[in-house]
Amino acid sequence: MAERYFQHTFPNGLTLLGEEMPAMQSAAMTFLVPAGSATDPVDRCGSATVLSDLVLRGAGDRDSRQLTDYLDSLGLQRSSSVGVHHTRFGCAAVAGKVMESLAAYADIVRRAQLPESGFTAARDLTLQALAGIEDEPRQKLLIKLREWHLPSPYGRNSMGREEDLQKLTLDLCQVDYRRRYHADGAILAIAGKIDFPRLRDAIEKHFGDWDAGPPVEIQLMPPPGQVHHEDQKSEQTHIGIAFPSVPETDPDYYTVRMAVEVLSGGMSGRLFTEIREKRALCYSVWAGYSSLKGQGSILGYAGTSNERAQATLDCLVAEFHRLRKGVEPAELERAKIGLKAGTIMQGESTSARAGAIAHDYFMRGRIRPLEEIKAAIDGVTVEKVNAYLKNNEPGQFTLVTVGPKSLNVPSTYQ
Amino acid sequence: MALTFHHKQLPNGLDIVAERNPDSHSVALGLFVKTGSRDESPNVNGVSHFLEHMMFKGSSKYTWEDVNRIFDEMGAKYNAFTSQELTAYYANVLPEFTEKAVEHLSHLLRPAIRVEDFTTEKKVILEEIAMYLDDPGHRLYERLMESHFGNHPLAMSILGSPESIRKLQRDEMAEYFQSRYGPGNMVFSATGDFAFEDIVKLAERYCGAWPHVDAPRHQPEPLYRPQRLSMTDAKLNRQYTMAMTPGPTAQDERRFAARVLADVIGDSEGSRFYWALVDNAIAEDADFGFYPHDGCGSFYAALTTAPERSAEALEIALAELKKVKDDVKDDEVDRAKNKMASSLVLQGEIPLGRMRSIGSQWIYNKEYRSLEQDMAALRAVNTAALRQLIDEFPFDPMTIVSLGPGPESKET
Repeated sequence: MAERYFQHTFPNGLTLLGEEMPAMQSAAMTFLVPAGSATDPVDRCGSATVLSDLVLRGAGDRDSRQLTDYLDSLGLQRSSSVGVHHTRFGCAAVAGKVMESLAAYADIVRRAQLPESGFTAARDLTLQALAGIEDEPRQKLLIKLREWHLPSPYGRNSMGREEDLQKLTLDLCQVDYRRRYHADGAILAIAGKIDFPRLRDAIEKHFGDWDAGPPVEIQLMPPPGQVHHEDQKSEQTHIGIAFPSVPETDPDYYTVRMAVEVLSGGMSGRLFTEIREKRALCYSVWAGYSSLKGQGSILGYAGTSNERAQATLDCLVAEFHRLRKGVEPAELERAKIGLKAGTIMQGESTSARAGAIAHDYFMRGRIRPLEEIKAAIDGVTVEKVNAYLKNNEPGQFTLVTVGPKSLNVPSTYQ
Repeated sequence: MALTFHHKQLPNGLDIVAERNPDSHSVALGLFVKTGSRDESPNVNGVSHFLEHMMFKGSSKYTWEDVNRIFDEMGAKYNAFTSQELTAYYANVLPEFTEKAVEHLSHLLRPAIRVEDFTTEKKVILEEIAMYLDDPGHRLYERLMESHFGNHPLAMSILGSPESIRKLQRDEMAEYFQSRYGPGNMVFSATGDFAFEDIVKLAERYCGAWPHVDAPRHQPEPLYRPQRLSMTDAKLNRQYTMAMTPGPTAQDERRFAARVLADVIGDSEGSRFYWALVDNAIAEDADFGFYPHDGCGSFYAALTTAPERSAEALEIALAELKKVKDDVKDDEVDRAKNKMASSLVLQGEIPLGRMRSIGSQWIYNKEYRSLEQDMAALRAVNTAALRQLIDEFPFDPMTIVSLGPGPESKET
């Protein structure tokens, strides 16, 4: 079979990744720029989010409206977001149009105009989004859970803090743009109907002389505590628990993923079965693995009416603890087929593949072929999972609640 | 990518629609039932959605644990959803599980509705209702539909109220099932790399004995009138405003023009609402969209703002609606069409997306439309068509509903 994965790192540190999917008409791009919320200056939280909006308000020779009109005329399905490690720009369309847009994306990350009027509006929109969190207790819970579980600055809300956003100026944004929008550590991934040598030449032309830029250091600080309640007059109490786990690069990674799948992989998962199906305590309950570079976490969530919140929390914690007794072979089989099917179906979406290869490269420094992932999943056995669970008890949870009343920490908590 | 369409009707009236895509890696299967909250009588409001939950609680052969376990043993991506006029059940599986998935979906659609499961699941439904009460956008949408459609059945809430759900009896649900869930009122939709005759055989084997049901749908004329309502909730931080006004139906050929018009006015980026309201941060969100329904249709606007700017934002939005007819331009129409064409191409590459599209298209129109036909209909839209559409649907009468902390808003 012809090679379909490609990777090339340019001298300035930009890495280009490609996955050729010849049956597709489309292509999708995931462009990760090393401007994540974790590298926001300590007194300017939210800076990356404001910048991610501001850079789209005119770049190169095009003003804000010309740039937007141009990208729209290509028919691009666009997105942008700020994560812990990166600011992400994504687009998908008929393959030729994605190729055509590369010059404009080079303008955005290298020659953004950063206009004054655009700055005021971008900051104002970020402040509005921040205010909106108060109206959505579920979203607020997940933000607070990260804040109380992860070391700072990883746990910071990417939308920032109101007092920091108020202090932000256009000048500070311009300095920040030069500091963090640079080639070293940037990852540009394209999947779909592409020809890699041509793509590499195009990237060389548009990004080959992009400044490498200075390294950005992060100093990790422990989170503020482990148990936190946010008072809110909501219909439901929203419960989040979290504990640290292995990073994605750890040999036990798939072992852990399987254990999480047993908890929450499908509707036969333990949380759904015990908490929703048997006890009808809530509509929404789940657990998931969350990945940062060098650090994994396991998160659990349940939302339930206030008078049933304590029972729900007790049940949720009990299920995490029950894991130490091990998983059944049939549970593991379901977990494996579920993850494998999900991996194969990802191959039907250029957007999903562009995102996946960019993530893989950032975490591991290389793209893993789908066959390697399938083999890793197949390699997990009941013995491995159960030995891991026995030797790695969940330990101390972070517990965060949003609702009208705080809950009692379960006696099995520590 | 060569997609080929196939259709066959079984003797009991079950329509099978399928699109073969030789490049796909998975098979998507769905059963679409032409039933939803608009087909309920008020005393059983919420039964369509509650029944959708009960489908996963087992048949005469399976318990709820079996239902969930068997889906997960296939590694299926499966779910169901209920709207005002459609309830759908689907599974996306690897090709080797095609038969097992068809068999399992067929069990799903013949539920036992056991009393003890019914009583337990009622509590889950009440939790789901509570969850949506914490979502201001949803509260506003429910109120908007209720006010805009008035006595028309589209006004009915999908979830129902806590009262209607508490009162609902198991036998009322069973009766609703009998009257709505039969071939004649549903379609079996499949996409992936398969031989169509194999899909037909499976459908015959597992669904061929289902009794035919004729389930007419009441289609009264909606009586629209201009309305303005506001709801106050002191604990909210933001003001949420929605407006709704008549548009083309799901059967109307003008629906393609309606989609283009909606994107020109209110796509999330690069639209008229974007430049008039979001670019300058007057509103955090300002969307304009098109909801085609069975037999009627709507345009809607949705704004999220600081409470003190909601009146200004609404005024700007209404002014944009007034202006668009006179100055809609070729280039903005082309941009909207290009974005929609891309999304058609992307959707065509994913079996699950196409399965949902051809299944619901059949429910609404009993017709198949290829990607090429949709693309051609989209390409044919121009500024003249948009102007004519606005003449025929002049954004009037309009229902406007607002939810926020006040101070200017008050319950009316």
